[in-house]
Amino acid sequence: MRRYWTSRDGVLVLPALALFAAVYLYPLSRLGLLSLFDPTFTVKHYRVLFREPAYLTALENTLTLSVSVTAIALALAYPLAYLMTTVSARTRSILTAFVLVPFWTSILVRTFAWLVILGKNGLVNQTLLALGVVTAPVPLIHNQVGVEIGMVHVLLPFMVLPLYSVMAGIDTNLLNAARSLGAPPIQVFLRVFFPLSLPGVHAGCLLVFLSAVGYYITPALLGGPRQITIAMLIDLVVNDLLNWGFGATLAILLLTAVIVLLVVLTSALGLGRMLRPTGAL
Amino acid sequence: MKRRDFLKVAGATAMAVGPFAHARPAKADKGELVVVSWGGSLAKAQRKAFFEEFEKQSGYTIKEDTPPAPAKIKAMVESGNVTWDVIETDMAAILGLVKDKLLEPIDYSKIDKAILDNIAAPIKHPNAVGSRVWSFNIVYNTKAFPTGQHPKSWADVWDGKKFPGGRTLNFGGGVAPQLEVALLADGVPRDKLYPIDTERAWKSMSRVRPYVTKWYSSHSEAIQLITAGEAAVSCTIGPRATAAKREGAPVDVDYHEGKLGADHWCLIKGLRNRELAMQFINFALAPQRQAILSREVPYGPSNRKAFDQMSAKDAKDLTSYPDNEKLQFWWDVKWWGEIGSDGKTNREREAERYAAWMLNTK
Repeated sequence: MRRYWTSRDGVLVLPALALFAAVYLYPLSRLGLLSLFDPTFTVKHYRVLFREPAYLTALENTLTLSVSVTAIALALAYPLAYLMTTVSARTRSILTAFVLVPFWTSILVRTFAWLVILGKNGLVNQTLLALGVVTAPVPLIHNQVGVEIGMVHVLLPFMVLPLYSVMAGIDTNLLNAARSLGAPPIQVFLRVFFPLSLPGVHAGCLLVFLSAVGYYITPALLGGPRQITIAMLIDLVVNDLLNWGFGATLAILLLTAVIVLLVVLTSALGLGRMLRPTGAL
Repeated sequence: MKRRDFLKVAGATAMAVGPFAHARPAKADKGELVVVSWGGSLAKAQRKAFFEEFEKQSGYTIKEDTPPAPAKIKAMVESGNVTWDVIETDMAAILGLVKDKLLEPIDYSKIDKAILDNIAAPIKHPNAVGSRVWSFNIVYNTKAFPTGQHPKSWADVWDGKKFPGGRTLNFGGGVAPQLEVALLADGVPRDKLYPIDTERAWKSMSRVRPYVTKWYSSHSEAIQLITAGEAAVSCTIGPRATAAKREGAPVDVDYHEGKLGADHWCLIKGLRNRELAMQFINFALAPQRQAILSREVPYGPSNRKAFDQMSAKDAKDLTSYPDNEKLQFWWDVKWWGEIGSDGKTNREREAERYAAWMLNTK
């Protein structure tokens, strides 16, 4: 078996490790300490956290929202990424541009655009009313649907790009081999293409999910009371109430929940495979 | 944009802003005074009303910064790297800053007596003096309710059957929950609001809840929701509605039972030039300066004498104009700042309860 790590690699990785420690591990440990010292050692912030069910409700809101956004993004991105691998180079560059353009627009602008499009007197409702599909405006914002639309739009590139890069690397000879052995298209997809695309699915889902748990602006503008996320509460507690100890506690709660969730998913779905070097990549 | 202001503030502000704030040489000879306010159209008006003339008269340069985020002030004072001098912000924020001892007292002996006598008592706080007056009012969409048939009391706003249409009330965004408004809607007279009967107020809040289509997080959002017809009526900043109305938006404001409050000038703890800062505040409270500001943005002057310098038409549009002021009540900052046996101010306790109330009752 080939050795993937040599001592020389270890030296090369040191600057990155130092940067990671300085800009991530150090502030993170300060955050942990802030939640436990106010000014002397105390667990009062954690006691409040578990005594008051509201904070766990916000955590639940955050996680369910992130899961549903990830699932919708995957459902939309998978066929799109597949399409990108089958079309001509010219069409592909046009599709890539469509995926990337929203990437370069401010998230605030994008979110406000959705308010205009999905609002009670917005484009979508005006069209539906004019066509006689509905008799009263459909509530598309200030609820779960609105937040999902807004967040999926913002996060879609994070799903499409890893999926495309993995799919583009799949050896088409393998698909041809399956066909020549008599596999119908559905079998070729389910037993050859889909398993080979899984590293892209894993990477895309991780990126989208981890970005989604920290979302603040989109749920605040497009959501209702049921879409109050942990990030919104952290904003309230840190910026308005200046209770940094409790803000840190909420941040640690979110971090812990995400780590636990990822560890469970990794072992349950075999996500760890993507972290190991494989021949396919 | 994820607002991880926390990390941003703890790390970036303390380290980065400090050393670089002085990198640019000041324009005038004597030095600079850093004034922090909310930016946008207000900043333009303030430059015209206060900054330009003060620079000319004093020889100092005024450097503007924004926004006056309490978390930023806290990080600045605690890191010992104070680069701001004068801050304009609202009382909700000031209460938190006073509790954490992040502000210097206002030296009232440095303010002209003629000015002080014309500033309303509720906006003269030991650590802050009123700079411009706003109010929480009944703000409505004129297509949903033609003026005259609109809700004229908070009881009307709470009555979703008599006045159908969505409501939008504030959640977060630097303001305490509108418990006074909830009590007025429940029939408590204006002069019996304080000390607030919180249990009664929250019960009243639960009654309006079914009619609320959106809990807004900023006042510009509230005006946008009313203008677009997403909601029919709101409890939000009246002067912002007046500004939108001037631009032709289908909104109007009713001053009945409005809650008057103000933004205040205050001094950050450890500022460099206290003397100069007080000189600026005194200058900015003069009636002719305030009249210029109110012409640019329709906030009420904190100095009543400023009305004498305006046309009657302009004056009547402003929330602190005597005819409008008498329909309203002053927000009692004292009650909200009182510290209970749990070590929390009433504002802190009720704001936390607000979050719980919002999340627990579905």
